[in-house]
Amino acid sequence: MAIKFERVGYEYKDIDGKGYLALADVTLNINKTGEFITLIGETGSGKSTLAQHMNALLTPTEGRVHIFGMKISRETRKSKNLKLNPIRQKVGLVFQFPEYQLFEETVENDIAFGPKNFGVSEAEAKERAKKMLNIVGLDDSYLSRSPFNLSGGEKKRVSIAGILAMEPDILVLDEPTSGLDPLGRNALLEVFYDIHQKLDKTVVIITHDMNTVYEYAKRVLVMREGNLVYDGNPTQLFSRKNVKSWNLDVPDILKLRRALEEKFSITLEGETRSKAQLMAKIKEALR
Amino acid sequence: MKNIVIGRYVPGNSFLYRMDPRTKLIALIALMVAAFLIQSFTHMLVSLALVTLLLVAGRISVKRVYLGLRPLMFLLFFTFIFQVMFNQEGDEIFTLPLHYSLLSIVAAAAVVVFWFMTKKHVRFKLFYFLFTVAAVFAVLHYIDFGVLFGEGTFRVFEEGLSTAFFIMVRLIIIIMLSTILTITTKPTDLNLGLERVLKPLRIVRINTEEIAMIISIALRYIPTLLDEANKIMLAQASRGVDFQEGKLKDKVVQIISLLVPMFIISFQRSDDLANAMEARSFVPGQPRTRLHVLTWKRLDTFALTLSLVALVAVIVVRVV
Repeated sequence: MAIKFERVGYEYKDIDGKGYLALADVTLNINKTGEFITLIGETGSGKSTLAQHMNALLTPTEGRVHIFGMKISRETRKSKNLKLNPIRQKVGLVFQFPEYQLFEETVENDIAFGPKNFGVSEAEAKERAKKMLNIVGLDDSYLSRSPFNLSGGEKKRVSIAGILAMEPDILVLDEPTSGLDPLGRNALLEVFYDIHQKLDKTVVIITHDMNTVYEYAKRVLVMREGNLVYDGNPTQLFSRKNVKSWNLDVPDILKLRRALEEKFSITLEGETRSKAQLMAKIKEALR
Repeated sequence: MKNIVIGRYVPGNSFLYRMDPRTKLIALIALMVAAFLIQSFTHMLVSLALVTLLLVAGRISVKRVYLGLRPLMFLLFFTFIFQVMFNQEGDEIFTLPLHYSLLSIVAAAAVVVFWFMTKKHVRFKLFYFLFTVAAVFAVLHYIDFGVLFGEGTFRVFEEGLSTAFFIMVRLIIIIMLSTILTITTKPTDLNLGLERVLKPLRIVRINTEEIAMIISIALRYIPTLLDEANKIMLAQASRGVDFQEGKLKDKVVQIISLLVPMFIISFQRSDDLANAMEARSFVPGQPRTRLHVLTWKRLDTFALTLSLVALVAVIVVRVV
């Protein structure tokens, strides 16, 4: 088990000592390989707080998180000997807004910044920068450009490349596709799926897009008011009656399928997670 | 960093909240000047007590203001100790012979090291620090055997002690008063109040409206920028920046990785803000209609009179 949450609670405190419980009693296991997880929930439900526990940026106020065998809790955090940097390399976290991390003069240096912090040589880091930039869909001409003169979508890609270049075992992305055009979004999702498939790495994506959830996720986590209310596969999630009460929409494909089933009074068998699958099923049923 | 209270408005309900911002601003200035003019020991204590009473009566959490003072505590105590040690005027009121021997110096160093190692685990850090200072002096005073390097005396003079006391209490009063103002006044009201209070400066062709706007925007953005800084630090920590450790060379890179995004975000924010203001037809220098019109109440007349009377009384006491 790579990441293990044990009854984790997190309370944001303001100066009066008044607390706001962002996470309550979350118990959760994430494997080192082979998982493609989407984390969903309304704004303010604690998704980002949960994600920031995964690489020990935040220390739980209740319970424990074990990350690659290292125990993170209130008690262990107090001892100064706790080296958190290796964890940050193993679990790469991409923040929602690229503006918070881009600072170097060129895109190349910025992507190479992460790996260099973890002791990768200059030459190797630059090589990774080039490779990762291509992976996220930008060509070599971007290497020498300033990260501040890029469009929102390009900045986002550069910030993702910056984390990919660290070669983390687990990749955690906070709304990686927000602010991208639909084609760019699909292309980037394919990139994450590729990373998951080819390198057998675990990917965790925070998203508001139910279509992404339905098409890609093997496992879905639903957060609501700081609680983990669902942990399972997407098909079961959307067949639940109370999905709407969690403020979640049903994916387009599923809506279409249900409408078709009703209109033609047929029942399709099996799962149809993507357009292609649904088309195939319909063809089959019409025959 | 979240503990910085300066400039933060906290919703609440008390007479301090109902007061006109103009009253609060003028009263603040009057009381600050008064705090600087007071020269009697008892009067100083009385005014400190009065300000605390104002906090309690205004239903502002004393703890919150104390937490606001805390980052400045070090500065306050440093000034205090500096004054006590080096101001050697007036009568000598306290002497403590000190012995500098190998043993006593080692023991004193041990006390400091012990303090340094254990301070993380002690709740009342300030008292613990004072206790340590006292312990160092006690060690130097009582351990008088071994090879002596020399003898010294620690003297405290009346003047030094009183100057130190006055500076400290004055600073505390000023910080408390200004915290009361920012805690109880919404930034928009503060802006409006400032604008009105500064209005006489228009005669000398100073655009007071703009100055007021600049001040209130600056105050408004302190907490926002602190939040941003926190987020940037988290984002960079994810990329392996360890803000706690590192050699000097690493520290420089760490600070750059924080400052550059900080600047970019600040410029972006001000750009957005300028656009948002323009979209609502804000033109600098043009007269604006107000959503909230300031109303002068009897409470304001009363509070203003009271603070001006306090100022006059202090001046009279000082002159006479």
